[in-house]
Amino acid sequence: MKTDIEYRRHSNPLHIAPLFRWLIIAAMMGASGLIFVYVKNQQHQLGVKTREVERQIVEEKALNEVLLARISSLSSRAELMRKLQQGFIVLRPIQDNAIARLTPPSQGGSEGLARTAATESFVR
Amino acid sequence: MRLKTRHRAGIVCAAVGLVFTGFSLRLIHLQVNKHEEYSKIAAAKHSIRQPIFARRGLIQDRNGEILAANVPVRRVVLDGSHVNNATELARVAAPYLEMDAAELAKQFVTEKRFVVISRELPEEKSLQLRKELVAKSLKGLSFPEATTRLYPNGEMLSHVIGFLGRKDLADDNLLGVEGIERSFEEHLRGQDGFRHIERDRTGREIVVYRGQEQSPRNGATVELTIDMGLQAIVEAELDAACAEVRPATAVAVLANPWTGEILAMASRPNFDPNNLKNTSPEMMKNRVIMDVVEPGSTFKIVVSSAALTERVVNHKTQIFCENGRFFYAGRTLRDHRGYGQMSVHDILVKSSNIGCAKMALMLGEDKYYEYVRGFGFGERSGIALPGESAGILQPPHRWDKLTITRMPMGHSIAVTPLQMTMAMGAIANGGKLMRPQIVRSVRDVDGNEIVTMNPEVVRQVVPEDTARFVSAALAAVTGPGGTAKLANVPGFETAGKTGTAQKVDPNGGYTPGKYVVSFLGYLPAENPAFVCLVMIDDAKLSSGLNYGGLVAAPIFARIGEKAARYMNLVPSLKAEAALPLAFHQGGNLGQEVRP
Repeated sequence: MKTDIEYRRHSNPLHIAPLFRWLIIAAMMGASGLIFVYVKNQQHQLGVKTREVERQIVEEKALNEVLLARISSLSSRAELMRKLQQGFIVLRPIQDNAIARLTPPSQGGSEGLARTAATESFVR
Repeated sequence: MRLKTRHRAGIVCAAVGLVFTGFSLRLIHLQVNKHEEYSKIAAAKHSIRQPIFARRGLIQDRNGEILAANVPVRRVVLDGSHVNNATELARVAAPYLEMDAAELAKQFVTEKRFVVISRELPEEKSLQLRKELVAKSLKGLSFPEATTRLYPNGEMLSHVIGFLGRKDLADDNLLGVEGIERSFEEHLRGQDGFRHIERDRTGREIVVYRGQEQSPRNGATVELTIDMGLQAIVEAELDAACAEVRPATAVAVLANPWTGEILAMASRPNFDPNNLKNTSPEMMKNRVIMDVVEPGSTFKIVVSSAALTERVVNHKTQIFCENGRFFYAGRTLRDHRGYGQMSVHDILVKSSNIGCAKMALMLGEDKYYEYVRGFGFGERSGIALPGESAGILQPPHRWDKLTITRMPMGHSIAVTPLQMTMAMGAIANGGKLMRPQIVRSVRDVDGNEIVTMNPEVVRQVVPEDTARFVSAALAAVTGPGGTAKLANVPGFETAGKTGTAQKVDPNGGYTPGKYVVSFLGYLPAENPAFVCLVMIDDAKLSSGLNYGGLVAAPIFARIGEKAARYMNLVPSLKAEAALPLAFHQGGNLGQEVRP
């Protein structure tokens, strides 16, 4: 009669259940690792895209500011006076009776401000 | 045998165990004991605190017109350790940087990791250059963000706005050096933000490992009291005057007498803050607040106001003007013409030196000094601009015997043009000395006012009735028989006073043939909208023509006429046909004109 020990000595049975368990664990760990690497890569790619978008925004903002500065420069009083002197624009005198006033002309100093037609329409 | 095998195995295991124990100990040493040290080294290599620059605040006039703006530029920085082809890199970059390719190539051959090649490469150029470098796989240049300041109006208002500069050449931060840029540096500068980032081996940021971040706080917008419409008028007239009489210096100020707000301020010579290369320190001086001059007869408003307030004279008092020659303390004081008995009103209208000297003598030194100080002389006005001078006013115990007779006519004292303007403003507004305001408000990026400047009365210098009496006399100065008929603005009653002072020689005494002439006035006299000073130093004219009434008064009139139109003032008088006279019409100017 063969004892258990002898049986084990002469046979090598596969214990499917524990093996399967370990295989599952290994596969899950492997998959987790791969997913981790994949997510990490995705994160990195997203970072690259974020940086690229940020760079574009900064460039657009900078170009916008350049254009704003150019507009301020071209519409500055000094530039308008230069254009006036060079004849690109002209000032035409308008007789007082040709001006229709919606509000009476303001007296300087009445409210401590120097007011002009331009400033009246200027809303901040 | 078995024991021997076991023994050997034990020795091997022990050896392996020892080795791994050694490794473990070393690991513990590195990770625990040396943690701080190596963390710092690693952080220095890969982690940086990247600054996020705050945008400098704008400077605007009272109507929102931009006077100082920012232009984004790029710095060009070389990292010698990343350069893969110096010659090609130099060849590509040279046209953009406007530099010689061969010289640039020499600069590019270096092991240094941070070499600034250019501080201000325009944004569009840097974009093109970066694209070209990427297309050609050239490495070694980086383009950190930077900004430069733009002053759209160039020379106009340059002394008030000021300019930026660096503490030293290696410093990238720009600081306000002059003008509002300096005095409001704290508000304009804002606060830079930062972001902790990690970089990979090639220097690119690893966004995943972004650390703490703080957004920048952009600089506040400073709104001035200046009205660029009026400033343009003042500057144009000052330029015309400079072209005509070629003075050494010239200044003009326009202020609101009720609030103390400065509406326009100009000095000559001036400079372009966008291009400081050919600018000398003399050109950068804001002479309205820095120059001290003997004011001449414009200063007579002080003694007459003081004498009336102290009731040593009244509107009926007649003062004997010694027929033009007053011998006092061993010296003779002269008038332009010989006058007999004159009222205070006439003394001002005729600008009698002797009459004013006698009023000061009636007041006494201490009382007169008190009023001079009361009008704001001898102390800084407190305007929010750097470098203001207090003027020169000695206390009575340091006066000689002649001072009491010379100071009332604007000698033996030195004042700034701004002090003089504010003193006249006090007469115009009924006796209140106002603190001059150049800034209206400071607003943060969201438009909230963080600083609001309200009109500030320094003191009531003289009572309202005294101011009204002096004002009436000053209105007559521009009328028939006055010394400044040319200051008259058609349609408006104009009040003011001329001043002609011999120029002080820096080595002592006076410079013969050189004069500082001025006109200081306001309009409409009954309800002034502005007070204006025009001061011309050493006009290239013959002595017979170099008077405040002849040189400065017409400039005042032209500024006044245009300013009144600009400010929509309604004429109170029927306008005379004559317009303010230009310089070339000066030949028919009256013989009545005096200092």
